[in-house]
Amino acid sequence: MNRLGAIIVGAAALFVLALPLFLKPYGIYLGSMWAVLSIAAMGLNLTLGYAGQVSLAQGAFVGIGAYTTALLMHAGVPYPIAFVAAGLVCFSVGWVLGYPALRVQHHYLAFVTLAFTALVFLVMRNEEWLTGGTYGLSGIPRPVLFGWSTNGAVSFYYFSLGVLIALAAGTWWMLRSPWGRAFVALRENPIRALSLGLDTRRYTLMAFAIGSSIGGLSGAVYAPLVQYIEPLSFALALSLNLLLMVIVGGSGYFFGPFVGALVAVLLPEWLRVIQSYYLLLYAVLVMVMMAFCPDGILGLLHRALKTMIFKRNPPQPALQPERTSR
Amino acid sequence: MTAVLEVSALSKHFGGITAVDGVSFDVQEGEILGIIGPNGSGKSTLFNCVLGQLTPNEGEVRVDGQTITGMRPCDINRLGVSRTFQLLQVFPQLSVRDNLILAGQEHQGSMYSRLIGAADAGLSDAAGQMIDFFRLTHLADERAGMLSYGQQKLLDAAMAFMAGPRLVLLDEPAGGVNLTMLGHLRERLQTYHAERKATFVVIEHQMEFVMALCTRVLVLAEGRLIAEGAPQDIRRDPVVIEAYLGH
Repeated sequence: MNRLGAIIVGAAALFVLALPLFLKPYGIYLGSMWAVLSIAAMGLNLTLGYAGQVSLAQGAFVGIGAYTTALLMHAGVPYPIAFVAAGLVCFSVGWVLGYPALRVQHHYLAFVTLAFTALVFLVMRNEEWLTGGTYGLSGIPRPVLFGWSTNGAVSFYYFSLGVLIALAAGTWWMLRSPWGRAFVALRENPIRALSLGLDTRRYTLMAFAIGSSIGGLSGAVYAPLVQYIEPLSFALALSLNLLLMVIVGGSGYFFGPFVGALVAVLLPEWLRVIQSYYLLLYAVLVMVMMAFCPDGILGLLHRALKTMIFKRNPPQPALQPERTSR
Repeated sequence: MTAVLEVSALSKHFGGITAVDGVSFDVQEGEILGIIGPNGSGKSTLFNCVLGQLTPNEGEVRVDGQTITGMRPCDINRLGVSRTFQLLQVFPQLSVRDNLILAGQEHQGSMYSRLIGAADAGLSDAAGQMIDFFRLTHLADERAGMLSYGQQKLLDAAMAFMAGPRLVLLDEPAGGVNLTMLGHLRERLQTYHAERKATFVVIEHQMEFVMALCTRVLVLAEGRLIAEGAPQDIRRDPVVIEAYLGH
């Protein structure tokens, strides 16, 4: 199973690396967009999928990250510093947003985070002196890193892919550390976790802050990708779309957001031929998927693989209650 | 002997209902104290007040002379006090081994050192020993949710012992466990107690289990302590028979 997983991931990585060879600039742009959305969804997957904290604010954090990066770059700050600043700002704001999660859960928490998204949108739209209001901010330059310009579609694709890989590696490390176990405990049974010495308050805040900062870093890549940002891009629709990516891909599966983002980027493109009906078909597909595989695409694959293995090697009666001779 | 746990005049009210009413007792080092009482007599509320899950309205709780009233459960746990719950409380999506590592990891280093340290927090061997001790070896890598109810009860108890606590509060460890598993659980608890010199407080309805395991028994009824003594004496106490054993 692990070997099979490694082969699939390796093949997918090779495919993603070779992608620009087969695509036109628009296709490569979509590839960069996939990387950006995968980063944002990966952050939400940490908060929601692993730590079990519902958030409808991830889109707002992408926005905060994008605006922070754009404003700093316009002020002449080098991109790497703007990038780190976007992550730090979102970490701090995410930490504060985590406090309501200490008091409310589930749909109540969803409403708190939804209100936050509305608040961020209003600030972006109304504070023209800072954000440019509805006109947004334009002319965001693509970064030059150690003499390497990311101006072209292919070079920016590899840049966004590099950021995705680096952040995915960091997230992977964290999730396999005791922190990952603690996040799952937080999701599954916070009362028991607390009784085992887990400082659930601090882990909850951390889950929010880290997930949000990853969202902010995604915004820091999004801003130079599109080179023009405006408030509507970061309204509730983006948060809902990111939530959909996590759920459709497989909430709580590490690679779930990557698959979910792929669906979210590609499906509208593929369904473009049916013009205005595409949203209708998209909605039906999502409903069917939720009805038949609520664990998402990776959950479905996982189940199919398990069934295949069980058919080949029927389970031993190891799960029967143990009999003792005493 | 010195008192590990001292509870003084503890009370807890829920609106107009008094769930625990001025209960005082102490637990000596190395003792296995049983707490019995009819349903709704306040046993679990008493545990929850002692361990920080609930804040008592009156009274004080001390561990090794240190007042812990109002402290958070995670901080109390780090003082070497652990517990099990009346209802099963394992983490079903984690493996048996990961459940045990989780139960011990917060006692290893600081939160930030755990982020950069080993994935198993250096507890794989200790978890393996605990798995062997509770004879769950063949299930070590199964998800806890796949285990039978009795096996999950064993895992629940094993998790309470994982951090090497000196005081363990067990809330109905025998509840819903079949007779074979019950004997196994009792024997494991007795062995752990003998080997580690740990102090136990056990809430239980299964009287044979209490009589075989405990060295002293408290009886609660309607939130008040109505009797205290050796298990054999408690069994014959007319007040207890009236309140609890009279059927």
